[in-house]
Amino acid sequence: MDLVANNLSYKPDDQYHLNEVSFNFKEGNLYTILGRTLSGKTTLLKTIAGLLTPDSGEIEFDGKNFLKIPVWERNVAMVYQQFINYPHLNVFENIAFPLKQRKIDQSIINEKVMDALKSVGLLGYENRKIQELSGGQQQRVSLARSLVKNAKILLLDEPLVNLDYKLREQLRDEFKNLFSKGLADETILIYSTTDPRETMELNGEVIVLDEGKVLQVGPAKEIFENPNSLKVAEISNDPPMNIIEAKILDNQIRFEGIDVEAPQHLSKLTEEGLKIGLRSSDIELNENGHEFEVELAEISGSETLLHLKRGDTKIIVSIEEVLNFKIHDKVKINFKIDRAYAFHADGKLASSPFGGLNG
Amino acid sequence: MNKLYIFLKYFFIVVWTVFVVAPFLWALTTSFKDFQSVNGGVTYIPWVDFEPNLEGWKVLVKSPAKGGVDIIEPYFNSLFVTCTASLISIILGTLSAYALSRYTFKAGFVKNNDITFFFISQRIMPPIVLSIPFFLFLSSINLLDSLTGLIVVYIVLLMPIAVWIMVDFFNKVPREIDETALIDGCNPYQAFLKVVLPNSIPGLIVAGMFCIIFGWIDFFFAFILTFTEVQLLPVKIVALNSSVTPWWSLSASALVSVAPLIIVAFIVERYLSKGNLSGAIK
Amino acid sequence: MAKIDLSNISHSYNPNDPNPVYALNPFSMTWENGNRYAILGPSGCGKTTMLNIVSGLVRPSAGRILFDNKDVTDLKTEDRNIAQVFQFPVIYNTMTVYENLAFPLKCRDFSKSKTDERVNSVAETLNLKSFLNSPARKLTADQKQLISLGRGLVREDVAAVLMDEPLTVIDPDLKFRLRRNLKEINEQYKTTLVYVTHDQNEAMTFADNIIVMSEGEVVQTGSPKELFERPNTTFVGYFIGSPAMNLFESEASSNDSVKINNTLIKTHTNLSNLKTKKIKLGIRSEFIKIAQNQNENLVDVNVEKVEDLGNYKLITAKLGDFTIKSKVTRDTEIPNSKVKLHIPADRCCVYEDNKLI
Repeated sequence: MDLVANNLSYKPDDQYHLNEVSFNFKEGNLYTILGRTLSGKTTLLKTIAGLLTPDSGEIEFDGKNFLKIPVWERNVAMVYQQFINYPHLNVFENIAFPLKQRKIDQSIINEKVMDALKSVGLLGYENRKIQELSGGQQQRVSLARSLVKNAKILLLDEPLVNLDYKLREQLRDEFKNLFSKGLADETILIYSTTDPRETMELNGEVIVLDEGKVLQVGPAKEIFENPNSLKVAEISNDPPMNIIEAKILDNQIRFEGIDVEAPQHLSKLTEEGLKIGLRSSDIELNENGHEFEVELAEISGSETLLHLKRGDTKIIVSIEEVLNFKIHDKVKINFKIDRAYAFHADGKLASSPFGGLNG
Repeated sequence: MNKLYIFLKYFFIVVWTVFVVAPFLWALTTSFKDFQSVNGGVTYIPWVDFEPNLEGWKVLVKSPAKGGVDIIEPYFNSLFVTCTASLISIILGTLSAYALSRYTFKAGFVKNNDITFFFISQRIMPPIVLSIPFFLFLSSINLLDSLTGLIVVYIVLLMPIAVWIMVDFFNKVPREIDETALIDGCNPYQAFLKVVLPNSIPGLIVAGMFCIIFGWIDFFFAFILTFTEVQLLPVKIVALNSSVTPWWSLSASALVSVAPLIIVAFIVERYLSKGNLSGAIK
Repeated sequence: MAKIDLSNISHSYNPNDPNPVYALNPFSMTWENGNRYAILGPSGCGKTTMLNIVSGLVRPSAGRILFDNKDVTDLKTEDRNIAQVFQFPVIYNTMTVYENLAFPLKCRDFSKSKTDERVNSVAETLNLKSFLNSPARKLTADQKQLISLGRGLVREDVAAVLMDEPLTVIDPDLKFRLRRNLKEINEQYKTTLVYVTHDQNEAMTFADNIIVMSEGEVVQTGSPKELFERPNTTFVGYFIGSPAMNLFESEASSNDSVKINNTLIKTHTNLSNLKTKKIKLGIRSEFIKIAQNQNENLVDVNVEKVEDLGNYKLITAKLGDFTIKSKVTRDTEIPNSKVKLHIPADRCCVYEDNKLI
């Protein structure tokens, strides 16, 4: 049972929330919608749920026109980023609500609710009031309510963003477990996020959304290795990818008085306005390297993030070590240039080290 | 500085309390006085300052033939009109408030907020402006001097209050709760009844209280739109006044007429302080 | 710009009870002028209470707070001369950026020229100069957050800037920009910055001193490096770092070694004076690598899964009943389901009763 959309557009005011969005989601897969805040992620999920009607375009599910089916008959489930539950009902009643709505036998309801409680780790909480739960627990109730229905389409709208950091880590692991168990076989899972790392961890099919437009579609690894444009490279990297304005001349990449020999996949690009993209992890400290000035040094776990500057070029380097630098210190660095990307002046990918385009 | 602050604080609290409680005290003592005691200067303590008697209270239940004013019938008239009009106003008002809160309406430059304002604007006008149209309207449908006619007019007057309070309340209930209900298989009516309404009880109670208060204390329309067939309590109380102002029975009737409001207030306050309502929506 | 002393501070809702229940256990601490501090911990650990005590919203049930040796315990927030930034940007939507920044000065009757000077200087630091005349509501989320901050900074002699999760609503790629701005302000104005967060990454990147809290108690104070490499308690080991520190319950053996799944792991900790032999061995997944040519501290594991997380790969493996996680570079080839991992002795932390030995 596929979920297919064609040219969905939604423009309630002077800005597009969805701009000609098309996709083809297949049963049993996980889809991650990656995009910044206000990129249209929530609008897209609400359109799939039926809470919003697009101005134009079509959605089909299982060969039927989805736009003709009202929300309450669509059999979808949705978890919001805010912890949305029914405040007047207790935990059990909250989870049982969608089943009661279907007039299912009480004994079956009990059994299913208990199963759902178990899978989200809330057994023993069934008589609690929602207000007595912590944020993480409230979100688990929300998740349990959406699991209990066996919906064919499960929409998760940045479900972890409002949670504490460690809790986020823990719930993300639980999600991954839930998704990999039977659930995934018959369901279309759609998960929206702003966090590139979450996208990589979930390892599903990624849709990169920006200003309501789909920029790229592909497996997480593919988006990471071959972003089709500057914009995608920016959205899908944290820290953002370094972008350097450079010229390639005589097989040399030249910027800020530095010459670096162009690797094979870049050597044929000689156009004006070329931009070189290099991840912060693909630059290393090297005694014999090029001199840059430290603007800022940040320590993050086992890494040190160096914000460096030379002329007008600013770059970020992440080093797998905890090092102490002061502002205005000089460091020498080396570029792992065979990992460099090149983008045309219009932002389109020109060449990628992983074989995209001219590779 | 600090002591002065505390002194002033308590001073104003005491002044205010006296201001609020004194009229009740005055009404209570006066209702047990007779002509002599009322005109014999300011007196407060029964059996010491004056000899209490029940004449003022007896007048309220005596039939007019025996020189009394029977307020029992007007009392129940008032109860019936106020409760019926409030109930209908709350039902209609809540429904329109929900629509105004959740759906976008547009007719030219008129939008949701304008419609909400239009409802409340009727309360901004002085009642005298409305009295003639109401009179003509009721007489044209033959409902002058009838309980039904009063109920119709009161609904027109009370519904704006319900709409106003409930729009504000519904705006505070997250839309996502309705959306979740729709996703969970409720149609819009079920979502409203099963999810939105149970979470709006505090608002309903506040709106209900305001409707009952404004309905109960209205004198103006009750006076203009009724003559002989039906009478409401406020009109009847005013009718007590004759050549000699009977302060004692006026006081007694005033106490009787605020009694239901006090009872309602006490019940609601109990309910509110139990915390049943305040925490429903974060 | 001030040194902040928190001396014997504690907070309890029943301070006169013989057994008071503390929202904040008694502690003392000094925050030096011009440093960056982060208060880190899960929700409900007391970090917001601590911040509120410094800002003056909460009066501690015991102890004194000194700003530059001046007792401010009884002063109200507005008299303490601090700037505050909250989760959501607080801006006046109807005003321009300039008017927003000038507002606190206008309320204090500053002259026009003085206001101009202060606003321009702050706008310069915050990179808001070119937006001074635009309506504040048109700016991006991180710029709005800068305005909230700027409104605190325009007053001269601000004692400290207190921030409560200021990056929550900011997009990941804008977070970098804002963090950089904050550090520049710290460098330029030498303002004491205090930052409350539950996100260890934010705390680490931002602060040079981190105060880790758990259940109302300060469990460790130190530089990011210290917290990462030598966590004082197993809680810190779990809370700092992603993934959490690998912890193995086990027993001490002779020669400062620890026995894990029949393999002896040498450590650099003196284990001869233990009360019991029950200990936990902690090791960061960053320090565990695939064995090259080392000949001790090697363990044989069964790889369960390998996740490609872009900048690195995360190996999850089984070591007997234990789960072990190792972070390796993206180009590491992981041979097959059986792998030999190396646990460097100098990176091992040993815990008794969950406290570092």
